[in-house]
Amino acid sequence: MHRRVIALLPVLGLMSANAEESQSIWDPLQVHGFASQAVVRTSDNHFFGNSPETSFDFTEIGINASLLINPQILLSGQLLARRAGNMYDGTPNLDYGLADFTLASSIEHRWGLRAGRIKNPLGIYNETRDVPFTHPGIFLPQVVYFDKIRNLALSLDGLMFYGETYSNLGALSLTVGGGRSVLDDNVEWTFLRNDYDGEFQPNGIVGLARLWYSAPGEQLKFGLSGTTLSLQFDPGQHSPLNAGTTDIFYWIASIQYDAEDWTLTAEYAHEPLEWRDYGPLLSNFRTTVEGYYLQGTYRIRPNVELLLRYEEGFANRNDRDGVEFSLLRGPPPFTYFSKIWTAGLRWDINREWMVRAEYQRHHGTFVLSYRENPDPSQLSEYWNLFAVQAAFRF
Amino acid sequence: MDGYYSRLNNGYPWHRALDNAAAPTCSAINRSSGRLKKVFICLTVTLWPWMLTAQELIVNKATPNTQISQNQARLCFTMRLPLWENNVPVKVFVLPDNHPLHRKFAKNILGLFPYQLRQVWDRQIFSGTGQAPIMVATEQEMVERVASTLGSIGYVESGSSYPQVRTLEVR
Repeated sequence: MHRRVIALLPVLGLMSANAEESQSIWDPLQVHGFASQAVVRTSDNHFFGNSPETSFDFTEIGINASLLINPQILLSGQLLARRAGNMYDGTPNLDYGLADFTLASSIEHRWGLRAGRIKNPLGIYNETRDVPFTHPGIFLPQVVYFDKIRNLALSLDGLMFYGETYSNLGALSLTVGGGRSVLDDNVEWTFLRNDYDGEFQPNGIVGLARLWYSAPGEQLKFGLSGTTLSLQFDPGQHSPLNAGTTDIFYWIASIQYDAEDWTLTAEYAHEPLEWRDYGPLLSNFRTTVEGYYLQGTYRIRPNVELLLRYEEGFANRNDRDGVEFSLLRGPPPFTYFSKIWTAGLRWDINREWMVRAEYQRHHGTFVLSYRENPDPSQLSEYWNLFAVQAAFRF
Repeated sequence: MDGYYSRLNNGYPWHRALDNAAAPTCSAINRSSGRLKKVFICLTVTLWPWMLTAQELIVNKATPNTQISQNQARLCFTMRLPLWENNVPVKVFVLPDNHPLHRKFAKNILGLFPYQLRQVWDRQIFSGTGQAPIMVATEQEMVERVASTLGSIGYVESGSSYPQVRTLEVR
């Protein structure tokens, strides 16, 4: 990869031919990127585009650069263009842009501080959730890593402290952060079920914490991570809603075991939510969203992987069949839960290219974006999904 | 790189045997039947060149260390140790993920599966929290780069073949 960077630099006119001997200041610069395109077909319901008629609207393109100014200071940034049905139109944005300061390090510990736009280290996959190579399956388990509301806990503009200790018993790490969450329209679509005149604003700072343990050799890893935030609705002139607030606490318990040929992963997400002061159209309301999955991957060869996953998610953990919510709020009970089987096959053709295919059997529509499926009467309770994806990296 | 993959794919079970060749499995052999012994002798003859060698860590000669713990080696190769004890920056060199030497080194010396190393690097590269190790194409290039780069660490099949670098003992 570094060699590729070296190959790129003459194009930029920055560089002499022999990097390691000249010790130019650009040596510690690395550039990486990825691009992926998926084709999605569903029997019913819209998922990442007009999927009942085959959707091509799932594209991810990212490019990043990192510069190691000295062994203690790393600057990095990534631009991401993401097209995902009606949820994202592919406009490039700053995925992260940060300075990482290592304050102290030895073979026993490492402490540091990150400042800027930082990806939230929630669960196993959130930090690199849009990089296809870094997770099994074309789609992440939606009951934990909701794509319909991806930006809620994606990243923050602020500070994160991290500390790690290493010993013969393994590694223990703690991350604590705070700042302003990076929101988008999908948050409004999911929490208010519409795109009203007005905007969600972060209400105060978002807090984040993560405690993680890895056994020596990293075969076993487990941890807890969570974030708490509050959103304030800033109504426009024609908004039927008042200036209400929504409070969110979202935490995930994670465990993963790696063997040579297989990996088992399980995660549990718990998300108490509260809506307050929106006025008569949206009365005060509380619920606890819950989701969990068990996922196994098996490598029949180092570059061919099978995936099997089962997941369940509920809009209200005390009303898992959705009947009470349906009576209270309207749409049929199956829109308040999702139970999903996924089977997939991944083939890493070479270092740059990967292709994969995936089948999902869904019961319920809780994971679907309201923005993509605005009319609940059009939804089907049982539905199937088939998708293929090609991805490139450098 | 495609060459590596096709070789890997065609001979994968064989390959697995090679990966484990350096690991001690003699006690299991002693318990096995006569037929298995014949198989073992056949395999030994075939695999002799590989069994003679274990992978070894190498560093630039200016690095004062002569030994390293497995933990410290893991920290180096997972890019979590920025400096040596003498405050020289650590520069990590690796072969491609599917290179037979890389696979053996990861398992036998670091005690990590190669896909785990890839996951750690990818998380750092694509979240902006770290950099990737420097990738070289061949063992020869590895030796040349380690010999010419201050603070470097890499690995070879057998360190005694390369006087221009220092071999590190893993405790």
